[in-house]
Parts: sequence; structure tokens; C-alpha cells
Amino acid sequence: MAQPIPTPTRWSAPYWQAAREGRLMIQGCKSCNRLIMYPKPFCPTCLGEDLDWRPSEGKGEVYTVTVQRAGAPSGFEDQVPYVLAVVKLDEGVQLMTRLVGDDAESANCGDRVTVDFQQAPGADVVLPVFRLAKQASGPQGGKP
Amino acid sequence: MRSAAAAVVGIGEVPSGRFSERTEIEAAIIAAREAILDAGLSPRDIDVVMPTGALASRHFNVDLIFSRICEELGMLRSASMNVQVMAGGGSSSSLLALAEALVATGAARTVLCLHSDRVGSLPKQAGTDLFATTGVSEEWEAPYGHNMNAVGALVSRRYMHETGTTEEELAAVCVSLRKWAALNPHAMLRTPLSVEEVLASRMIADPLRAKHCNMLADGASAFIVAAAGEARQMTKTPVYVRGHASLVTHYSLSQDTDLAHLGFPEAARRAYAQSGLTPADIQLAEIYDSYPVFALIAMDALGLCGGMRAGSFVAAGHTSPGGVMPMTTNGGMLAQGHTGAGGGVAVLVEAFRQLMGKAGERQVPNLVNAVETASGGTWMDSHVTVLSKEVR
Repeated sequence: MAQPIPTPTRWSAPYWQAAREGRLMIQGCKSCNRLIMYPKPFCPTCLGEDLDWRPSEGKGEVYTVTVQRAGAPSGFEDQVPYVLAVVKLDEGVQLMTRLVGDDAESANCGDRVTVDFQQAPGADVVLPVFRLAKQASGPQGGKP
Repeated sequence: MRSAAAAVVGIGEVPSGRFSERTEIEAAIIAAREAILDAGLSPRDIDVVMPTGALASRHFNVDLIFSRICEELGMLRSASMNVQVMAGGGSSSSLLALAEALVATGAARTVLCLHSDRVGSLPKQAGTDLFATTGVSEEWEAPYGHNMNAVGALVSRRYMHETGTTEEELAAVCVSLRKWAALNPHAMLRTPLSVEEVLASRMIADPLRAKHCNMLADGASAFIVAAAGEARQMTKTPVYVRGHASLVTHYSLSQDTDLAHLGFPEAARRAYAQSGLTPADIQLAEIYDSYPVFALIAMDALGLCGGMRAGSFVAAGHTSPGGVMPMTTNGGMLAQGHTGAGGGVAVLVEAFRQLMGKAGERQVPNLVNAVETASGGTWMDSHVTVLSKEVR
């Protein structure tokens, strides 16, 4: 069984297109000015329909993290160990992601991280991932 | 303080474990029949049948939705409604809250709540894959390899970061539950377990090792809710519902901004206020425990650890048999077994069993009031229920 890949929706397609271009974007509401993560068809705060996209600095901190070593779901058995994390962006919103890089397994709550982008195996999809900030990534990471 | 509007008047249950010869419908009927007989009722006394959801078999789940229980147990043209109430692990408290509302308003006189499932008989990888969809976002979380053990691990890491709780203390929860399960003939895992054995088991998702994680099981349990004013005519041992409160905090784990507490502090405060009782009045805690951290989060919020951190309280043995605050006396999902949505129903039925004085070898003495918790999906909701032998 292949790794599940995201199926973009009408309202999330710009997020995935930006990721493919190496940019992390956050949906925003033009009525109440709240940021929306993950993307939604209407603003969950004011139910507004006038939404736009705002570039993220791609920096944040680890809210929580784990190293998956066994018992992975189908499609991920060959990827263990992998590092799952919830990252809180400096803009204030949170997302599920992975930490990558040689020191990813040593990550702790509160560690600073910077966005990077990884192609999902065997699919035309790019997933936003993060690296510990002390390990500088390539020119692409964190510069939307 | 208000007087209770609803009471539980009968319970039934089958042993949890892996039973390849026992079908879901057979287990459901055994548990439901036992609950009806325990309440001194006949099937035609049941107004509403309220099954929760089954996960392993779509066909069986559809049978539960479409009144098969009413047909199998002789309730045709007497039951007024058969309606599924599914909130995953939160189904236990949700069933009770909705049944309470029906009997309190007079919309029903009696409600049969039940669960049956066979998730324990699923192949191991199928079980992992099933629970990698229960509250995990298909677009935003599944593509990263998120799954249920990772949920337990991510919450554990944040909780340990904020509270200083150790891996040994997480392991102590499993040890305490195993001691209770040794006294429970319905439990799946009844052999003694030590902290050292937990910490020597294989790492699954840091900091959770294999023996920190629940084991999927087949099982079924049932209970009957009646109006408080009629309960004494049905049974000598009614259990009154004194307070319930709950709060939805997320769908996908990544959107919860307070994973070290979830909604339990607010739910506990509101449930205690409704009941007119305080933590000092509680002698028993029946806690939804599918990973050790959730028992600790709930115990912290419920104020039952005498001012100690829940982890050090459990490690000191205070929740084990003979301890000052018995916790999850059927062994919970970590020892009786995780039967899907029914893991929580079994914990709730154990609270009723203890308050009815029917818990046998593991009966907690001098018991008057107990508190129960539950949560579904990736701990999307936090339920707290206060139960008592006394109507007010």
C-alpha cells in the first residue's frame, strides 16, 4: 500500500501549489484578519468567505515531537524511524509536520525550527517539513 | 445542588480479549440480555435502544444502526427508537448524557445503551491502519505518517515537558492498571507487570514503548438508564448521574493548543459544580486510559492526587488496589483491553459495577461517589461524569 498523499481541495490547492514552489503560505480572512491553518472553505472565526493567502516566514518552534520507530501505518513501514512533530509557527498557527535532518531525532519541545520542502515518495506532491534551526538548510528553506 | 434526574439500573458485559469464535452480535446480545435481567426488566420494558458504533465490521455497524438488536431481543413494536450514538472513545459518557436527557424529560422511560466490536481480531497492521484514520486528517496529517500511537506519544512529550513527569511514572500507570486487571476475570492482560518490564519493552514512538500502549480486544458491554424517580422500583442498587460536563478541543491533534491539559480542567470544574460534590467527596476514579498520559492528565484535572503531581501519585501506589484513590479498577484499556468505542463503555460500566457493590474481589469498600472520564478520536473531547449511590 502506497503512502497516503494529500488530495487538494478547491480551497487548499493554492497551499499545495505554493509548497511545490518552495513557499509556505497561510490562509487569512480579509473580514476579521485572522490566520487560518489548515486551509478552510470559510473563516472558522467569522464565517467570512473573502479569504486570501499570506506568506509565512517559515520559522517557529516545536510544540511537541515523537520519533516513530515501529508500528507505522501502511505505506510508512520502510520510513521508520521518522520524526513527527506539531510545529507552532511564529505567526501563531500550528500544523502537523515532520522534522528532517541528521539531528531531527534529538528535537525537544520548544526547539526553534525552519521550514523546508520534501517531495512525497512517488507522487507529484511536496510536503512542508521542518529542520532544527541551528542546522542551516539550503537556500530554499525558510525564504518564501 | 440539583437532585439527579437519571439512574443506571442494570449492567452487562462479556470478557475482553481475542475470541475468534464469538461474533459481534452474540457478544452484544449476551451483554444486553445480562443488563436487562440485572435491572429486573423484560425486553419490552426498553423504550430506546442506543448502540454506539462498531469499527471492525461495516456490516455489523450498519446492523446496529438498523435495529437488529430490537429484533434479536424481542423489542419489535415495543421499542420506540433505535439510534446510534457514536463519539469514538467519548461514546460512553455521550451515551449516558443523552440517555439521561431522554429520561429526564420523559421522552423515554428506559434506555438500553450498548457496545460490541471485534477490533482485537483484526490483523495487526489492519488495526494500526484503522486507528490511523480515527480523528487523523486525511489531507493534513495522514500524509506525514501520523497514527494513534503517535498521538499518545505527542501528547506524552508535551505533558512531560510541562510537568516534569518521567517515563517511569508513565510506566507506573500501566503497573497500577495491571494490578487491578489481575482481579478482573473479564480482563485480557492479567499477569503482573513491573516498571522495569515496561521500560525494557520495544520503543514504538518515543517516549512510548510497547507496554505503554494499549492492546486491541474484542468485547461488549451494556447498561440501562432510567428516570431517577423510578429507579428504586427496578433495583436495590441504582447509580445516580449527579453531574456531567464536556468540551470539544479539536478534531486534528495538531490544532490543540493545550495538549498537557486538553479540556479536562474545565469539564471537571463544571461537572463537580453540577453534582454539588468536591474532590474530597470522591472515593473512586474510573479514567479513560488508552495511553498512560491520559490517565495522568485527567487525574491532575480532577484534583484527586492530594496536591501531588499525578505521575508521582500513581508511582507511589496510591491508585493501586488498597491505595487511597483506586483508579480504573477493571484495568482499563491498557489491561482489560481496548475494544474500540467500547473501551470507554467498559470503564463506565465498571464505575456502575463498583457503585452497585458488584465488583467481587476488586470491590472498593465504603464507596459512595465516583468520577468517570472519557475522550474520543485523538482526544477531541474531554468528558467528566460524577456518579453516586445517593440521589442528592
